[in-house]
Amino acid sequence: MAQAVASLEQQADKTALITGSEAIAVACKLADVDVITAYPIRPYDTVMQYVAKLVANGELDCEYIVAESEHSQFEIVKHASAVGARVFCGSSGVGWMYAFEALTVTPGLRIPMVAMVGNRALDDPGAFGVEHNDALAVRDLGWQLVWVDNPQEALDTALIAYRVAEDRRVFLPCAISCDGAFLTHSQALVKIPSQEKVDAFLPPYNRGDLLLHPDNPITVAPQVNEDWLMEIRRQTAAAMERAYTVIREAYAEFEQIFGRRYGNPFFEEYQTEDAEIVLVGMGTLSTPVKVAIREMRKEGKKVGFVRVRWFRPFAAEELAKTLGRFSAVGIIDRDFSLGSPYLSGVLATEVRAAMYPAAKRPPMLDFICGLGGREVTLPDVKKMSDIVYHAAEGKPQPLTQWIGLRE
Amino acid sequence: MGRLFAVEIVYRGIFQKTLAKNISRAIVLAAHQEGKPGISFGRYGDSPERNGVPAKNFAIVATDDQTLEEGMAKYEPKEVDISIAVDDTLCKGVESWAWYGLQPINRLLKPGGTLIVTSREEPEALIEMCHRKEYPYQLAIVKGIPSFSGLWVYKEDHSDVRILGAIAKVLPELFSLESVQKAIRAEWKDELKATSAARSYERITTVTVPPNQGNPEEPFKFELPKWSEMREGVTIPAIPRGHAMENTATQQVGGWQPERNPTFKKFSTRTMRPVVDFDTCIKCTLCWLQCPDSCFDVTPDGLYDANMQACCGCGVCEAVCPVQKCVTMVNETQFRDNDSQWEMWNKDKEGYKKWLLEKIEHGPGPQRSHGFRYRGQYEEQVPEMLEIAREG
Amino acid sequence: MATFVDIQPTQQLDPIKGVKKMPLEEFFTSGHRTCQGCESALVMKLMAKAAGPRTVVLGSTGCMYVANTTYYSTSWVVPWMHTQLGSSGSAAMGAASGLKALMRKGKIKDEPINVIAFCGDGGGADMGLSAISAALTHPDYNLLILMYDNESYANTDIQLSGSTPYGAHTTFSPPGKMKRIMHHRWKKNMAGMLAAGHPTCKYIATVCMSYPLQAMNSVRKALSIGGPTFIHSLDPCPKGWDYDPMQSHEMGELAVTTGVWPLYEVEEGVIRLYGKTKEIAEGRYKRFPVRDYLLRQGRFAHFTDDDIDYFQSKVDQMWDKWLVPGVIPFLKEVETDHPPK
Repeated sequence: MAQAVASLEQQADKTALITGSEAIAVACKLADVDVITAYPIRPYDTVMQYVAKLVANGELDCEYIVAESEHSQFEIVKHASAVGARVFCGSSGVGWMYAFEALTVTPGLRIPMVAMVGNRALDDPGAFGVEHNDALAVRDLGWQLVWVDNPQEALDTALIAYRVAEDRRVFLPCAISCDGAFLTHSQALVKIPSQEKVDAFLPPYNRGDLLLHPDNPITVAPQVNEDWLMEIRRQTAAAMERAYTVIREAYAEFEQIFGRRYGNPFFEEYQTEDAEIVLVGMGTLSTPVKVAIREMRKEGKKVGFVRVRWFRPFAAEELAKTLGRFSAVGIIDRDFSLGSPYLSGVLATEVRAAMYPAAKRPPMLDFICGLGGREVTLPDVKKMSDIVYHAAEGKPQPLTQWIGLRE
Repeated sequence: MGRLFAVEIVYRGIFQKTLAKNISRAIVLAAHQEGKPGISFGRYGDSPERNGVPAKNFAIVATDDQTLEEGMAKYEPKEVDISIAVDDTLCKGVESWAWYGLQPINRLLKPGGTLIVTSREEPEALIEMCHRKEYPYQLAIVKGIPSFSGLWVYKEDHSDVRILGAIAKVLPELFSLESVQKAIRAEWKDELKATSAARSYERITTVTVPPNQGNPEEPFKFELPKWSEMREGVTIPAIPRGHAMENTATQQVGGWQPERNPTFKKFSTRTMRPVVDFDTCIKCTLCWLQCPDSCFDVTPDGLYDANMQACCGCGVCEAVCPVQKCVTMVNETQFRDNDSQWEMWNKDKEGYKKWLLEKIEHGPGPQRSHGFRYRGQYEEQVPEMLEIAREG
Repeated sequence: MATFVDIQPTQQLDPIKGVKKMPLEEFFTSGHRTCQGCESALVMKLMAKAAGPRTVVLGSTGCMYVANTTYYSTSWVVPWMHTQLGSSGSAAMGAASGLKALMRKGKIKDEPINVIAFCGDGGGADMGLSAISAALTHPDYNLLILMYDNESYANTDIQLSGSTPYGAHTTFSPPGKMKRIMHHRWKKNMAGMLAAGHPTCKYIATVCMSYPLQAMNSVRKALSIGGPTFIHSLDPCPKGWDYDPMQSHEMGELAVTTGVWPLYEVEEGVIRLYGKTKEIAEGRYKRFPVRDYLLRQGRFAHFTDDDIDYFQSKVDQMWDKWLVPGVIPFLKEVETDHPPK
């Protein structure tokens, strides 16, 4: 293995200027996906446009099915995966919601589907811009949820997602969230690894004794009564528990084979070593936040940033330990959870829950920001930082505040 | 602490659902006439009921609200004062689901509690069908043909009120005849039904079933696996493929026997079973082909043997058989085992013929009604039912 | 088109020559929880028997899911998987496309495997209609969608579906003091609609298990002909229709002999009536009056003579006025419709 890896490292990656959607389409090609289903909705549909080109040009050999609805889209790949095919699917906003029934049943059946969510605000009103509520809606159902913030990470994470989802210890679906527009529609330079590297990293999908095939006669998902359901839920819970380990293993081997380092798989830390306060967020808002942090540091404000990558499984203990190091924490939610504790967003609610058992619990504020694709500006970030500083100094602050709102 | 009363009504799915509900509701309403609070509910896991498959309804009544709450705190009562079997073949036991095992009809009965059965059989026959209990209990028979009618057309044969009258007799603490008659008048606005309840009250007699009398068999049961022992992905192994049959006498091998479901026996789903005259069978295949439950084993000599692990007694085989009295549905009360008829026939053809004719005499005939056949049919049957009721 | 569509070979399942030639083995067997006299269970049994061992079956939510497979137990010998209520079309497409891709790419043995997805009338004629329609437009997947039609949502306490006949009593259409007829919609013409609307679909048929040989040979033809196919089976339901289970078989025969349920197949676009239906169409067999059928079922017990006459007139229209009698409800001239008050 070691030697094989060494020889792989010699292979130069090709560089291409592509969007996050295109990067994931390329990952599908590298992963030799067998069945892909498409249905139009902005912004995720760009990935399917690229996939269609790859298929039309003979670069990707798969069954490419244009379904008649998102519900069918996800049901088709669910059954394709059950007979042993590697599958890819995706959607956005209310399209994802239209597929909700299919999304609900997939984890329990232990279907390692990989899907892309082009994060989009939910109707009504119809808006193409980013909000995270679409993907977050499945957070309780057994889907693994990961947020990326650039096309390179999109490609890499797609490969990692297959590796993790298809690990027999896990066998749970994984949704890769890409912020609409910022990631789905803007191009960046991306290193495309060689097929050999990918083959070394990603073993074939083996469904084992869960395979739906005449050679393995089984009955899948019969009706249960109250004598059985708790045991079945417990099995799925155990799989999600095991995902922590499998994700770590996957990132470690990814670094070994592809030479790209992501550090802690679950969340990225930016300039936190000496930080007094930190902001926490997901997705592409990382860019304005990082730039603003660099500027604030010139003014002597020691602000750091923690970007949550894996929302499910959620690295509660680690994150609590990390955030405990700072004198105050500000969470930026590109989502909302109406009527939730302290009327805040989903991320803030989860982080607070994670912090509760922690030894050190700094003041925590939530900011609702950048909804519907509204820009998260540098002044926004500075404003949020100032507020967090006030909290650090013990000045009482409202627990949830809307930033960048006309008022 | 006041007194808690629990009554269970065991019925055969959809074709007795309304009957069971009526009885259960009327129990609560009758007790309410005496100021006792109560609830009535069907066992949720049983719905949607399938016709034939045993299901349960419960009436819980108490002398005061707090005591009632103690009864309501349980998903279903662990012991009952009265078990009602609205079909006598249920005395053989209750198996509502796979993995459920066979539960004796008298399982929940308290010591000294009463089992009320609608039947034309004598006590001895019913006691023989019921599993043994280590303590004595009462058996009361409401003489009558078990009442079956679908969801849309209810058979007004007074089975419901006659059972209610019987309850007033065997458990007067629950409610008096007067109270139940009041409830009946309020619910049905039918004086004749109130009279039927009274007549049943007068006629009903109970016999004491002494300990350890009845079916000595140990009812089959299953151990549910732990979560870590179950295959993941809500996945289970399929039923294995079947195999050819062997005639142990002649060593002849052939035909086909499907593998049978190991955890759902369906012995208790029948009210009738087919008896087959292998001598007149012309091997037309129709009973086997048209059986929705794949219950017929194909024997090496090309005959069709109804396997009692799979037969739910629908009677389609008799309906499609072109030969007179070749397949005949016979009241399940006439049987004590689930053995293969074909093997019996193989061992002793003469003996089998005798056995067969004797069974066929009993036919389902008047002892059985299986639901709606044509509009107006129930009305025609009611007088006969009321006649039986009068005879008591 | 054909040049762009790569079609896999199917299993060649020859017609069964007679009941005596019937394969003995069962692939859907006992131990299910369906009602006494359940014709839909019979459909499952004979469908699986016709298809044989190299088959994958996908089952939509409904009686044939809930009643057939009680976890941790099953009645299926061949592989079976549950699919969501409206997903029979998608499930069949998913399994067929998955197998096809894996075989083409050499990831599994290349062999014809039957893919059958079934649904009830609720899952098919109502919720799943668009997915079934989509599946039938994909000529490159070998699959069969079988709709077992017991004319109600019989698994959820018998509520009316788009396939419930006019006037039938269901828990959502109880005859009441003010309204005798709560359900005044006419049953959807599923097979006819799908045949007319999906010109590239090679095989669509109606069956009834009271005629098991023809029904099983329909299944075999549907699985052998290639591409997506559809079979609509009318299944008498003792529970929802309210009749003595012993009469299930006879009830199916009555549906056909009264002309309420036409038996036909559309093969490569060619329509062929068969059995009693053919005789009815050719005037060689006189239809029984629908009264003989309706009044045998509790769900029509509230019908007045006017209701029965109206029902009869609509069935007469099927045979006397439809452009393709019993199949396609286009008329040569406008008919007035006078349902009873």
